Amino acid sequence: MPELRRDPIVGRWMIIDSDHTKSPLDFPKEDNTPTRQEICPFCPGREYQTPHEVDAVRPAGSLPDSSGWLVRTVPNKFPVLSSDGFLQKDGIGIYDQMNGIGAHEVMIECPDHEKGLTELTSEEMRAVISQYHSRFKQLSDDSRFKYVVIFKNFGSSAGATVEHTHSQIIALPMVPKTVLEELKGSEHYHQYRGRCVFCDMIAQEYQDKERIVVENSGFLAFCPYAPRYAFETWIIPKGHAGDFAQMGDSSQAHLAQILQDVLKKIKKVLGNPSYNYYLHTAPIGYADLACYHWHIEIIPKLTRSVGFEWGTGLHIVPTFPQDSARYLREA
Amino acid sequence: MSLLRKDPIVGRWTIIATERARRPAAFVDPQSTGTDQKLCPYCQDLTSAGIYEFHGVKVSNSINPILDDSKPFERRGHGLYDVCHSYGSHEIVMETPEHIANMADLPEEQIKAVLQTYALRMRIHRQNPFIEYILAYKNYGVAAGSRNIGHSRSQIMAVPVLPMRVKDKTRGAGQYYDFHERCLFCDMVRQEIKNKERVVVENEHFVVITPFASRFPFETWILPKNHHCDFADGVTGYEEPLAAIMKDILLRFKIGLNDPAYNYMIQTSPVQNPSSFKDKYHWHIEVMPRLTRVAGFERGTGFYICPIPPEMSAAFLREVDIHART
Repeated sequence: MPELRRDPIVGRWMIIDSDHTKSPLDFPKEDNTPTRQEICPFCPGREYQTPHEVDAVRPAGSLPDSSGWLVRTVPNKFPVLSSDGFLQKDGIGIYDQMNGIGAHEVMIECPDHEKGLTELTSEEMRAVISQYHSRFKQLSDDSRFKYVVIFKNFGSSAGATVEHTHSQIIALPMVPKTVLEELKGSEHYHQYRGRCVFCDMIAQEYQDKERIVVENSGFLAFCPYAPRYAFETWIIPKGHAGDFAQMGDSSQAHLAQILQDVLKKIKKVLGNPSYNYYLHTAPIGYADLACYHWHIEIIPKLTRSVGFEWGTGLHIVPTFPQDSARYLREA
Repeated sequence: MSLLRKDPIVGRWTIIATERARRPAAFVDPQSTGTDQKLCPYCQDLTSAGIYEFHGVKVSNSINPILDDSKPFERRGHGLYDVCHSYGSHEIVMETPEHIANMADLPEEQIKAVLQTYALRMRIHRQNPFIEYILAYKNYGVAAGSRNIGHSRSQIMAVPVLPMRVKDKTRGAGQYYDFHERCLFCDMVRQEIKNKERVVVENEHFVVITPFASRFPFETWILPKNHHCDFADGVTGYEEPLAAIMKDILLRFKIGLNDPAYNYMIQTSPVQNPSSFKDKYHWHIEVMPRLTRVAGFERGTGFYICPIPPEMSAAFLREVDIHART
């Protein structure tokens, strides 16, 4: 019997299509093997093809925009938001508008064109997380910005236009809608029960066990009870932590390890699918929220969303989260 | 510099590319729709009885329903989570007995019969006290989530919970009403008609606009000029001008954008407590060609990046000559 389930944070209902469930082999396969090395602007030796780097993990003494880096961050050549100028807000009749102030950077995660995140050594993966952290903190210091999003598009059907492994970071002059919804929902829960809804979710996931994918001493990876997508997986710090920026060095190592572990499992179970992941954390200036808990949401791109889902926000998911979790756990 | 625009209904911001805006022609994306009529399950099935038939429109239960009302509705808890079984109904509307793929190619009278069918089915489903929302929608083309059958059809779902987007829209419109004591959509219709640059086409009773904070290139909304919160009641007596304007906009997509995949959804007020939505909500139809992909940023933030300003989309669609090929 299909089930309707409600996400306890934002109150979004979804449908599990239990009569036509899909296992990993039922989703169409994609070939996401890297190919076009000779023209790639992210490869070492072509640093001149990108805008000047703003940050990098590179050996002491090596010059910016030279080769030898481990992770390299450059402004996006085609930014959706511009970091020059000041915010101007306008009203046009019933409408509101602002100029597009923000920042849009690309973090190139590895010099080797052939490697993806799943192929990095643990040190290289740690360098990626440490670059996320340092760019996040740097952009959070700009008083024009209210929110910083780190996200990754892997594979063309998840929106990647360059195949060389990279993530992006966008700083915004407002808190985006999905985060506001989570903040509102978790604040409401906190007022009602005096506890963090995410901490309660973690406790229940340990009790139920069936949706847990993997854990280490700092983090838990699980498939949420009311997902929007098949094989949706969240990575969350086990202890209460609202703000990504406050994460210490040992947590960074744990995050690097579990993120790579989950991505390896997804690659193995689903055959190197396209995916997106993104970071949800407290807005800039709200580091110590008792109600909010930062986390990463990973979404393999396996199905197309149809008109019904666009029109209602009611997602139809063909795989039970406990089945997704079992496949990933056993990989 | 790009622009950040806020949707006045749900408060969602969109980034509108300006300097780097892609030209409308860059989105023209052909898709194959030709299919063999002999393989069409709808043509093979013409003789079987549907649950409802009206002027060549046939409604039947989905053979793969994801909602089912054979068991009584019951909500329960699972620790901090909430769950209920998937109660409701899921119907397929076969829009014509002929093997025609795109609604744009149906005669206006046939589109009118489809709209009347939606209204009739909605009136039936809303008598069920457990149903909170009824959605009539269409997926056309593979990129819009349809199987490539080549026979024009749409779907109706009746669900026992209020979907997230519906909650967002009714809440936003309600807040505007509480502040101004006017309907947000009526204000929008007035401003768009006065301003003109985002109007694609209008007739006496309806206007088609590209919304100010469009999420997608060529996203369009069909807004009734007369205030009514509910589609089934509001469309009564206006099926003809609505059918005419739907055909018009779908032809503009077909001819101007080379037969793209598209979705439309009828946005109507929730079923329960209709009096609380009567003044505050205004039914409308969202119609969008599926030309771009949603990536990690959009999923993670609910923030959309629209690669072409809606004014440019509207100007492009206005100039499409829909009489050229019909």
